[in-house]
Amino acid sequence: MSDILTINQLSVSLQKNTILADINLSLTSGEILGLVGPSGCGKTTLLNTIAGFNQLNSGSIIIDKLCINNTNPVPAEKRNVGVIFQDYALFPHLTVWQNIAFGLSKETKEEQKLRIEKLLILLGLMPQAQKFPHQLSGGQQQRVAIARSLAVRPKILLLDEPFSNIDARLRNGLMIELRHLLKSLNISAIFVTHNKDEVFSFADKIALMHHGKIIQAGTPREVFDHPNCWQVADFLQIGSWLPVNVREKQVSTVLGDFTVEDLILNNGEHFVLLVKPQYISLIPGNANSVVKHISFTEHGYHYLLSSIDSSDPLAFEDLSFYSQSLLSLEQEVRLQLIPHSYQLFAHQTHSFST
Amino acid sequence: MISRVNYPIWSITSWLIALALMAPVAVMVFSGLTANSDTLTHLWQTVLPHYVVNTLLLALYVVVLVILFGVPTAAIVSLTNLKTRNVLRWALLLPLAMPAYVIAYLYTDLFDYAGPIQRQLRALFSWQSPNDYWFFDLRTLTGAAVMIALVLFPYVYMLVRTAFEHQDPQLIKAGKSLGLSDKQCFLRISLPLARPAIAVSASLVLMETLADFATVQYFAVNTLTTAVYDTWLEYGELSTANAIASLLMIMVLLSVAAEYRARAHQRHQLSASKEPLTMIILTPIQQIIGNIYCWLLVLAGFIFPFVLLLDMTIQYLDSTEFEQLIQAGMNSLKVSIYAATIASILALFLVLYRRLSGVKRSEVPLLLSGYGYAIPGTVLAMALLATFGPLDHWINDLAVWLNLSKPGLVLSGSLFAVIFALITRFSAIANGTITSGITKIPQSLDIAPESLGVGKLHTVLKVHLPLLKSSFIVAWLLVFVEAMKELPAVLVLRPFNFDTLSTQVYQMISDERLEQGAIGALFIVLFGLLPIIVLNKKEKIH
Repeated sequence: MSDILTINQLSVSLQKNTILADINLSLTSGEILGLVGPSGCGKTTLLNTIAGFNQLNSGSIIIDKLCINNTNPVPAEKRNVGVIFQDYALFPHLTVWQNIAFGLSKETKEEQKLRIEKLLILLGLMPQAQKFPHQLSGGQQQRVAIARSLAVRPKILLLDEPFSNIDARLRNGLMIELRHLLKSLNISAIFVTHNKDEVFSFADKIALMHHGKIIQAGTPREVFDHPNCWQVADFLQIGSWLPVNVREKQVSTVLGDFTVEDLILNNGEHFVLLVKPQYISLIPGNANSVVKHISFTEHGYHYLLSSIDSSDPLAFEDLSFYSQSLLSLEQEVRLQLIPHSYQLFAHQTHSFST
Repeated sequence: MISRVNYPIWSITSWLIALALMAPVAVMVFSGLTANSDTLTHLWQTVLPHYVVNTLLLALYVVVLVILFGVPTAAIVSLTNLKTRNVLRWALLLPLAMPAYVIAYLYTDLFDYAGPIQRQLRALFSWQSPNDYWFFDLRTLTGAAVMIALVLFPYVYMLVRTAFEHQDPQLIKAGKSLGLSDKQCFLRISLPLARPAIAVSASLVLMETLADFATVQYFAVNTLTTAVYDTWLEYGELSTANAIASLLMIMVLLSVAAEYRARAHQRHQLSASKEPLTMIILTPIQQIIGNIYCWLLVLAGFIFPFVLLLDMTIQYLDSTEFEQLIQAGMNSLKVSIYAATIASILALFLVLYRRLSGVKRSEVPLLLSGYGYAIPGTVLAMALLATFGPLDHWINDLAVWLNLSKPGLVLSGSLFAVIFALITRFSAIANGTITSGITKIPQSLDIAPESLGVGKLHTVLKVHLPLLKSSFIVAWLLVFVEAMKELPAVLVLRPFNFDTLSTQVYQMISDERLEQGAIGALFIVLFGLLPIIVLNKKEKIH
């Protein structure tokens, strides 16, 4: 499949601050990319730069053979990139029909009518055609914004936090609906979110950004199973962190020791172990952990535990663990690591109070 | 539902204030409608239709001009990268400080047959008489419209600029992502979205235009305001004057209704922008044109007349009638301070009543007391004469019946009428300023003191009044300046031999000798600058 979007070594500075540095990314036709990362990591800037609302400083963006770089800064209106804004940015003075017709001035009235009707039917907006944006629900407004963008047949669709204004209860349904739509029309899309659940259910591919760089990209499965650094695992909340002591190939933790084969040690580097909740078990014996917080979830009880001896240099905090059995607050228990393919990450300090 | 304390006295007083302020207008309309004089028939058969047409034409010309002046300047300052936009932002407000009749006089002086421009031209081309060349005549209906528009366009500029600045910048981005150029985005998104602001400001200008008296009088353009004045002073026919004033009142009410409709559609304008607007980048040629357009308006509406006034003041300092001016200045200060203080206190009273009573109908006194702003000064003066005249007679009859000495015209012939008129006319300004102040106080502060065991009245004293202090001061200042500038109402209602700065300046303009009173006009302008400075400061704080 051919690439619809290729980004090469893109850098962007705004007011002399480097916001994006050395971004490389590609998207094939019909692929949906989820762009995730903490606030201020540059997600929205990347989206704005692709759309043409920001100038790029170096590198290039190629949108379906149209190359945009420093010497050829194509203005936003010439890029054929659709944008769905966080608050949808519907024109309040125009009806749903007029909003969708907005970008269609080049076509004949008859063509416009056919196109708009098709989109209204596709998105289930026919009964709302003559209403104004403020008369619509959040979900309907989003569909109008999508119809308006699709009307001009964009090469790519960019969505800035598309589900943040949607009621939590309806969000999942809308995500599935939108994914079906984009897939059926074979439209490539990039969407920005800071909600990891949205990425996992909506994207074909995810790219995790941190401090203006893409630190890992791949399918959700790849990234979830093999995060390449602690920031990725930490942002996606793949598991909890356990401080470890590494000597040769021997690794010791409060919850048990194990050996690893392929670890390369650098001087002065600290390591932490990523522990997914399913790799912890409750066993009888001398207590090593204490229950600090209990909540009830659809997967049973969710506990956060800390080590009993907080003065231990390997002491841990907020270890996440699910169980069907009920423990009480401040109850002391013994936890053990279940042997698995251990994932150790280099990190400057032990603390993760982010 | 939050329980509200109701003080019956507060409620009754609020209604009484509002009714008292509006009663004279009701009396006037009633007396106007029942007027059955030959004069009215005579006027209707002769000049009145012509006056109505003049009034409508003047209003139309002014509205067209202020839109032509105000909307492009607002767009240039708020949406483009014009080099001098930071200075223009406030400089374009300066013409508001100039009374239209003052620039009318100054420009007439300049462009007249005997004025310096035509003299120079004649000398240059050795023309002998007016027959040798054509030169525009400023003292026409069109000339009056230009003069009025030059000082009123900042209303449009100010409101439309705010509308542009508050538009969601994402709408423009959305337009661009749909393939629209800068120009198309402006014409298809920004401009239609600013339409309510254009309508509101244009109707404000319309009201001010219908209220103008001195400019049209000076240019001898007969409109309904001058007709009211002439009928009263020349024919001595109060009821006929009332009838014409009622006619004018109907026109004003229509423009109020138009304004109300425009505001009703303003709902979608409220989104405050989170990010700065993307500027339209101007080409060097566009920069030059934009600068010329904006600066010409600042120059014509303020700088040039201001310099002329300053020059006149210095040149004629020797023949200036200082004694008269000082007396008039003291009088101006006196009535303005009274009016500003009373109007601000009444506004505080009504606004607090509305906020704390919480019932829907508590809004009515506030609304009613604000309508005076729409009533032209001449009309208001007629209304007060129609009301206070008979009242004075009753008082005198009562005094005679009680065997007391006659008190004279205590209401209609004293400062009372002048101050009453100023309060009625400018209450809306005080109401609006204090209302916008109180909406910034969170509703929870009304009830929080109760949870601390503090009573309602104490809450008002300890919470609301201190928090409203700055709004109160701004309200006071705005009313003070407007009262200072008000001409027609004071002109009709002032006691014998009582002059304020504005009536004196008007008198001198009528006598074609403003030179001797230029310093008075200068003071009016300088006072007029105060609210612009305050508004600008407030904006910077936000």
